[in-house]
Amino acid sequence: MEPVITIRNLSKVYGEKVALSNVNLDVYPGQIIGYIGPNGAGKSTTVKILAGIIQDYSGEVTVAGFNLAKHVLEVKKKIGYIPELSEMYDLLTPREYLAFIGKLFHLGDEVIASRSQRMLESFGLSDHMDQRMDGFSKGMRQKVLITAGLLHNPQIVIMDEPLSGLDANAVIMVKELLQVLKAKGKTIFYCSHMMDVVERVSDRIILIDNGAIIADGTIGALQKDGNDSLEKIFSKLTSSDDGLKRAGSFASAYRDNAENRDNGHE
Amino acid sequence: MNKILLSLVMLPSALWERLGADTVQLKAILNAKLLVDDRKPLSFGNNKGPAHSRKYTTITTMMVSFFMGLIYILPVLITAADTVIGLTMFSTLFMLLLTFTLMTDFVGILIDTRDKLVLFPRPVNDTTIMLSRLLHIFTYLARLVVPMCIPAWIVFGLIKGRKGVLFFPLPVLLSVFVTLFLVCGLYLLVLKLSRPGRFKDVLNFFQILFSVVFFTVCILSPGMINPEAFETLKVEAYSWVKYLPSYWIATCWTWADHAAKVLPGTRWMSVLSVVFPLASLWATVKLLAPGFVKSLVTSDNSNMERMPGAQAGSKKKSAAQKRMYHRANLFNKSDASKAGFMITWLQTSRSRSFRMKVLPSFAYVPVYFFFLLFSGKHSFTEVWDHLPQGKGYIALLYMTAFVIIEAINYITISDQYKAAWVYHAAPVNKPGEVIAGAFKAVWVKYFLPFIAGISVFVFAVWGIPVLFDIILATVNITLFAAIIMRTTANRSLPFSRKEQIKDSGVKNLVRVAGTLAAMGGLVLLHYAAAGLSAPAETGFTINLSAFSDTAWLTVISFLLKALLLALSSVFLWLVFDSLKNTAWETLQKTE
Repeated sequence: MEPVITIRNLSKVYGEKVALSNVNLDVYPGQIIGYIGPNGAGKSTTVKILAGIIQDYSGEVTVAGFNLAKHVLEVKKKIGYIPELSEMYDLLTPREYLAFIGKLFHLGDEVIASRSQRMLESFGLSDHMDQRMDGFSKGMRQKVLITAGLLHNPQIVIMDEPLSGLDANAVIMVKELLQVLKAKGKTIFYCSHMMDVVERVSDRIILIDNGAIIADGTIGALQKDGNDSLEKIFSKLTSSDDGLKRAGSFASAYRDNAENRDNGHE
Repeated sequence: MNKILLSLVMLPSALWERLGADTVQLKAILNAKLLVDDRKPLSFGNNKGPAHSRKYTTITTMMVSFFMGLIYILPVLITAADTVIGLTMFSTLFMLLLTFTLMTDFVGILIDTRDKLVLFPRPVNDTTIMLSRLLHIFTYLARLVVPMCIPAWIVFGLIKGRKGVLFFPLPVLLSVFVTLFLVCGLYLLVLKLSRPGRFKDVLNFFQILFSVVFFTVCILSPGMINPEAFETLKVEAYSWVKYLPSYWIATCWTWADHAAKVLPGTRWMSVLSVVFPLASLWATVKLLAPGFVKSLVTSDNSNMERMPGAQAGSKKKSAAQKRMYHRANLFNKSDASKAGFMITWLQTSRSRSFRMKVLPSFAYVPVYFFFLLFSGKHSFTEVWDHLPQGKGYIALLYMTAFVIIEAINYITISDQYKAAWVYHAAPVNKPGEVIAGAFKAVWVKYFLPFIAGISVFVFAVWGIPVLFDIILATVNITLFAAIIMRTTANRSLPFSRKEQIKDSGVKNLVRVAGTLAAMGGLVLLHYAAAGLSAPAETGFTINLSAFSDTAWLTVISFLLKALLLALSSVFLWLVFDSLKNTAWETLQKTE
């Protein structure tokens, strides 16, 4: 099978900071890739490059047969990018915002109207379609962002913490949606810090740290030495200290003269 | 600078404590706010700017304030004839300008809810939060007021000597206090009384209304002041001024000069000038602070609370949306243009800051036109009767350019500029198409109805023969607007930039000056073609009908206008095409 995403020697530098260093990766159609890593590891840089937002990088990226550097528009047409709790023009209503996004992806008015209606209905937002989003909760905004990212029926879906702010029912729905999209042959690039979710939904997990891939495989392959959870594996591979020790060190900061006063024991 | 300001506002700590504030928290909040101000990019009113240019932008702001302050020399000169009336005029003008600045730039700080997650969950009482905001606004005013008052201070010192130099800061400080507490008090009262959800709209309406009133007063008042009458100005002639706080402030001069002339029985009013701001402060804090945070949060969440009612309006809304989609399809071919058209149409209707900046310009045009018309020595009836014989309609038509230029200047700016990431993630081949759509939205939404309305007036006064002039002016103004849109500063995607003073000032200034010169040239050509050779000197009431009665001149005039129209149309097509074809690389250079 031909990979749908091919990354060769991908590097990106911000000033003196190396965000990505010689990343190589092949992603196949119908896979859900769990893309994980500590803060500042290079996850967002990778997905922004794949989404065509960052264009000054070195290396070669091919998406759906198109060279990203040469055919960025073709690539963007194939990709649905869902950023984490990102800024929106929230003075608009969801219907208006989706109409605007739909036009940017060259969708017809009727297609936009019917997809927006049905997708937001599934999220339970149909009553709010004509209300400005500046009064929306985080979860409601995230539902609109997910809808906006999927409106044009993309072949590849890039999700950056898509469950942020969602209520339990919406979380279940999005997790099911991932499976439905996968069954339809779509490739999903799923970035998250929620290890339990990544472990459950991903076919393949890629762990990135300091701009380089340090682990790549199914959860079974990553557990080769035992039965560790993904959280444990993540901690072992990316942290020099153990979490308990660091938590203890954090709490020890209270052992100062002000502790008694804070607790009202003067 | 921050340390001085912080010490200054914390001087009356005991007073703040008596009013119910926690002074430790108050100082901490103000300190944090001043630090944040220092690290933001600078725009007039909102202290912003990258670190390296901060110094220069602060100096620029102070210079602008200094030059604005030159207008206060005029009322201060009157103090040579009558100190109290001169000081009353100074305080009135000063308070008027401060009110305008407060309403347009600073009062937002009072009702800002962006820090709600920082402050509202902490154990900080309403009085402390409200006072922190009032004093924060005061620090902004202090930065503006000091350079602004220097010219008037010098002149007052020259007239009144050492006593004058020492006295002058008092009326300035009192004027600042009166204005601050009155304006903020009014806003807080509206916040307390208005229905949730309507509050920000009511305030927006006030701001727009006051901008228009302020502009009208500024334009018309110099015409009402006769400099020759300065020598004879006497307080006795204006007994009604005793009801103005600015007069009470002016009577403080009697503390420095016991022989100063005031209206009979009003010497005691100087006490009022001190009591009044203190009473306003007390009333503002004691009566309006309780429930301040609750009112803010309620107004902030108003959109959610309005939800049940929103259903009723949705039918009406969808009809308006259909009309908007119809226009987007009618005026744009490509989808990217349609998207630019739609986002601009919708955002400009919803954004309060856009409305605040652009809507007053609709009123400025007629106000300024009538000011020009009636500023001469002729009577109203004389001017009005001779209006149809002149060419004043040309000036009026070109003044409408002000509206579209204002709109263009603000369609690229938004507080939510980061939301523009969608353009970069979408398959937009040429961002110029989105920009062109935005331009068309502004043209259709603001300019077209306005020039149509003005044309009705022009037809009514000058008759149908000026139709060709209207068409020519419309094309010329559109050409200019397109040129301005194409210049560096405005060649950006809609609502994708934050507001700030442009760093490349000189370059832009040259561009703007060049554009204005080109516009001036076109207007002169239009005047010339219409039969006038020197419009600036001749004014509007000169009748050249005898000159243009000759048939051959009419024909030449028409041919010239036709030629001008053809040339402008070609240029417009070229400029618009270039705008539409703006590539990502060009935008990146601009940004």
